[in-house]
Amino acid sequence: MLTFVAKRLLLAVPTLLAVLTLVFVLVRIVPGDPTIVILGDQASNEARQALRERLGLNKSIGAQYVDFLVQVASGDLGRSLTTNRPIVADVAAVLPYTIELTLAALFVGCIVGIPLGVVAAQRRDGLVDWFARIVSLAGLSFPAFVSGILLLLVFAIQLRWFPVISTSNASDPLERLRALVLPAINLGFLMVAYVTRVTRSGMIKALGDDYVRTARAKGLVPRLVVWRHALRNVLVPVVTVVGLYLGVLIGNAVLTEIVFNRPGLGKLIVTALNQRDYALLQGLMVVAALAVVVANILTDLTYGLVDPRVKTA
Amino acid sequence: MTAPAAIAGPSAWRRATRSGGLAVGIAMLGAMVVVALLAPWIAPYDPNDQNVMLNLAEPSAAHPFGNDQFGRDVLSRVVWGARVSLFVGIAATLAGVVIGTVIGVVGGYFGGWVDRAITAATDVLLSFPQLIMGLLIVAVLGPSLFNLILAIAVTAVPAFVRVARGSTLAMRERDFVDACRALGYSDLRIMFLHVLPNILDEVVVMGSLWLATAIRTESTLAFIGLGLPPPTATWGAIIREGFDNLLDAPWLSIFPSIAILVVMIALNLIGDGLRDATDPKAPQ
Repeated sequence: MLTFVAKRLLLAVPTLLAVLTLVFVLVRIVPGDPTIVILGDQASNEARQALRERLGLNKSIGAQYVDFLVQVASGDLGRSLTTNRPIVADVAAVLPYTIELTLAALFVGCIVGIPLGVVAAQRRDGLVDWFARIVSLAGLSFPAFVSGILLLLVFAIQLRWFPVISTSNASDPLERLRALVLPAINLGFLMVAYVTRVTRSGMIKALGDDYVRTARAKGLVPRLVVWRHALRNVLVPVVTVVGLYLGVLIGNAVLTEIVFNRPGLGKLIVTALNQRDYALLQGLMVVAALAVVVANILTDLTYGLVDPRVKTA
Repeated sequence: MTAPAAIAGPSAWRRATRSGGLAVGIAMLGAMVVVALLAPWIAPYDPNDQNVMLNLAEPSAAHPFGNDQFGRDVLSRVVWGARVSLFVGIAATLAGVVIGTVIGVVGGYFGGWVDRAITAATDVLLSFPQLIMGLLIVAVLGPSLFNLILAIAVTAVPAFVRVARGSTLAMRERDFVDACRALGYSDLRIMFLHVLPNILDEVVVMGSLWLATAIRTESTLAFIGLGLPPPTATWGAIIREGFDNLLDAPWLSIFPSIAILVVMIALNLIGDGLRDATDPKAPQ
């Protein structure tokens, strides 16, 4: 297990390096003088020169690149251009909220999507199957900010079941959970769509397989055949699809946080955009890319959990 | 919606049209395209005409979708917004399809280090959340029509590289490619006159699904504040303005949301229908 993790981590290094290079290049192709972008065109030459030195822009592009890599490798993402706070501290302060939201959405996706897909596969073209199709079509069609606004309108503003502003820093855990419900449903909606589709098509195939027929023939309870035998084999593609779309989920988490006014990476990104804080933006991109790489590793590790054959392979 | 019978099943056309989803999708999308094309004639008012007397006015007979915070007619803005969303989406998807497919075919056809380099670059681009990548590009370059299309196209390219490369790899082993080589055809001719037509259906399916993503990305960027600058009417921007007035004027965000949903559902129905048509083994 440990060697598997170590190998996987080593494999992630070139990907990470390439992503970092991409971020570095993207942030540096900003047209025009970055000091004008940051300080405005009224700033004095001295002020601009001072800023250039502070940002290391007076060095050659190669030296800047090496500086950047060394900085990131030592866990330093630099300082915000507007607040001068260390970016790592800013990110660390809000990251738990984004992780909490993403995990909650994954939970919603699996707890709704897997049973829905299984039942839809068992009763093809039945009522549940049609419902599953409509749900997954809707889940794939709703932009996260549109579904978020509609959820807010119905459940927070009209029915008042949930708070309009999800300030999940409330100390009461129950209150915090209540504030999490709507954002988690909103973000989980897309996951429900993907998981339902994969589970359904996987189950349709599995239910026709020989081992399922054997299990049925030896007189196992039908429920056991479906939920223990067939479903176990469908879990691998489910994990694949969950891992594959984790990146999309992270992108949508940003939108969900904006709509529900939750603290998190999303609000930080919007702040960075509004204040043209390119240092903060660069740091956030690194964190986002890192999150996807970590998510991919976790996905690979989960294969071993749901399918013992993967570990030995 | 029944499953297509095994190999000797109905023709692709029958498979595609049997569920009805494809037809419904095409009708919905067609209606929206007509609205976009005829915007100057069917929009009841100028989308940028302000009328202080009607600030945040509720929907009425004269203004069925209500008015926004500047008293502008929301129906006219939604109608004009269709132009931006569809144009940006189609242009970006086309660019992504063309660039991605060419790169993918070249990688899959030649193999070796060319393929390895292309695959590695694709993996890196795919490891970046697509929305965040688009956001970064627009933020860096500034929100103009061209930059929006560029940003969305860049995020689309890796997906098409992957599809085209995979299909080309499979085609390369086919006898007809060997035959072309034996005839002394150039690599360029084999790639784009013989391999490309055979992988096009998969690219088209992917393209229809990606069009949905492209339009969603455009409206999302507009919602975040990275869309075309005001006063241009775009669906995402109208929803944003509605979101800022959610308590006083919920209709402001509801009507453009419905417009986006119609297009998204239409494109997903079309994509699913086309996939069922091209893949006889596809479930449902």
